[in-house]
Amino acid sequence: MQRILVTGAATWTGGHLIRKLENDPGTEVLAIDEVPPRVDFQSEVFEFQLDHPDFAHFILDTQPDAIVHLQTVDRSALLGGRRAHDEAVVGAQALFGAVHRCDCVKHVIVKSDACVYGMGPRNPSVVFEDAALDGTRGRYAKDLKALEDYIVSTARSRPDVMFTVLRFAPIFGAAVRNPLSRYLRLPLVPTRLGYDPRLQLISEHDAVRALEHALASPVAGAFNVAAPGQLFLSRILRLGHRVAQPLPRRAYDIAVKGMSRADLHLPTHIKRLVHHGLITDTRRMREVLGFEPTHNLRQTILAGYGLLPDRSADV
Amino acid sequence: MTERSRLTKQQLLELARQHQIRGRSRMTKAELIEALDAIDATGPIDTVDEVGQALPPQAEPSSDPKARRAALAARLDSFVDHTKTCNWRSVEGHPCGLPAIAEQDRCSLHGGIDIADVAVPAVGRLGFDTWPALLRHIWLASYDVDPIGLDPAVAEMFWHLANYLYFDYFRVEVEGIENLPVKGPALLTANHGGAALPYDAVMLSLAILNEMPVPRRARVTGTEIFNATPTVSHFYRKIGGVYASRADTAYLLDRGHLVGVFPEGVRAFQKPFSQAYQVQRFGRGGFVTMAERHGAPVIPVAIVGSDEVHPALFSSQILARLVRLVWPAQRVEEMAVYLNLIPLPIRWRIRFLKPIAPSHVGTDPDPLEMLERTEAIRSLIQSNLTEMLAQRGSAI
Repeated sequence: MQRILVTGAATWTGGHLIRKLENDPGTEVLAIDEVPPRVDFQSEVFEFQLDHPDFAHFILDTQPDAIVHLQTVDRSALLGGRRAHDEAVVGAQALFGAVHRCDCVKHVIVKSDACVYGMGPRNPSVVFEDAALDGTRGRYAKDLKALEDYIVSTARSRPDVMFTVLRFAPIFGAAVRNPLSRYLRLPLVPTRLGYDPRLQLISEHDAVRALEHALASPVAGAFNVAAPGQLFLSRILRLGHRVAQPLPRRAYDIAVKGMSRADLHLPTHIKRLVHHGLITDTRRMREVLGFEPTHNLRQTILAGYGLLPDRSADV
Repeated sequence: MTERSRLTKQQLLELARQHQIRGRSRMTKAELIEALDAIDATGPIDTVDEVGQALPPQAEPSSDPKARRAALAARLDSFVDHTKTCNWRSVEGHPCGLPAIAEQDRCSLHGGIDIADVAVPAVGRLGFDTWPALLRHIWLASYDVDPIGLDPAVAEMFWHLANYLYFDYFRVEVEGIENLPVKGPALLTANHGGAALPYDAVMLSLAILNEMPVPRRARVTGTEIFNATPTVSHFYRKIGGVYASRADTAYLLDRGHLVGVFPEGVRAFQKPFSQAYQVQRFGRGGFVTMAERHGAPVIPVAIVGSDEVHPALFSSQILARLVRLVWPAQRVEEMAVYLNLIPLPIRWRIRFLKPIAPSHVGTDPDPLEMLERTEAIRSLIQSNLTEMLAQRGSAI
């Protein structure tokens, strides 16, 4: 009997991962979250605030074999900036503190985001896993950097535990409700005049599959996870039959503020992404982790816009 | 060589230094010419021993733009098979409609060829009549771009337009194209011209596209000012530009591409016209170390023409301060003021010199040796420039 603890069970990705894990009778899932789940599953949800010591003691009491840490998504819109920061950083401290003390945990999978590399005019065009993490711009990127630093120090003190960090490209799909997906699916999309960033995406289904794959065949290390291919933002919008509205900086800032009023808050890392773009190298994902996304970028985009009738279509 | 009499004493001294003529500092101009002519009479010698370089033989460049365009068109056409169309289909069922690459099922946009390395026009030729097909594929967003941002369709349209500058306006003549590898990585190191726009970067990549038997792309590097400037930020990537960083150069060299660098950097833009064709310091020589680490040969390139397209009247710090006031992202220290807005119709010459093979692949290169090699490459380009200027005759 394998016992897997999943934080962030309320997220779309977490919910679908738990549903897949439940199909295996030899697996017991401990779902952790503090908000009601978006996807229905059978396992009981344990309500914990990650930054509370109770959560660490829960790990020590239940003795899970593996931990999937998914509550690294940006929840500043839901919980407020400060609360989200506490959840992410102090929550990670509690989690890795428990891992440090517990002898049962063999494998820890952490969902990170490619935005930890930072985005800007001085970034390399293609980022590899061994690049220095930036974390100087935007609260979310800072939190992720702190989280990855905890992983490094815990891995040093516990060499017997396997740590897999998956740095996901922005997850895009028809069902997920992250800010970038909602932004890209607007009918009229405000963009920065004079900038056409190169973007990578990963489909929502492939994100779940990547986590499942990392659980099934554990490999230690950090991996960039993205669908094969890269496109300019303008081309992505055209594939989705959306109209891009390039705006100069001031007008763009006003438009972003307007979207924030209309319940679509673009955090700093997303604003920088659609300004400078970010491309990561995924060779390690394919060759070391052994994961191959089912959707390429074009299929991911079309599926996210609901325009992909047949997945085998050659696009 | 009677052309030598046209050179200044300074230029002759530079040549004499290249040929390691003893006692050159005490010689008069006539004596220098005599000594140099004597070396020519004894046959070609290795000009820079530690680099193992000899000056290439003078090729006879054809100068008729019509004949050169026809030769290019014939060469490009041989890559595509007009009897076969690409088998790509969009999700809505739109056919591709472009001819396939010879012995392939796909056209150059849809994976028939490695677009990051070889530039084969999608229709098999350049021309305004091919633009509707290209614009259709840009509109459908039907093809992938390179990770660095190269867009084959946009690059092809730019190639077509810039060829008017290349063949008809600047009348670029190319020597030593056989020194470029048909396959595999190489680092092209060229002198940078003091023009308002990087014409030399464009002409360098066009020279390789237009003259090589296989039209390879040279990915020319640009500073982060390119990334921070609206419109330029994505356009320079779409036509094949690369951000000048170790990571990007390493990425391309490891994948066997040609990378073009201008080690002088912004220094070339700040020099006054009186210093035209005086090659400035080559940065910190990072490019030689990069080539060593990644096992790529360095190919020095001498470009004549770029320094006269926009003669700089003077260089001003106050103007640069004004620019920074309006545009804080720009990190300019000095700003040159140019004589003309429209580039002057200068006759260009590009000379590719013999490749310098990396000496110790795999080991960490010796810093001092790298410094010496950087200087050797710089003075090699300088001596070639001096010679080419003397041979050129009229600039127009």
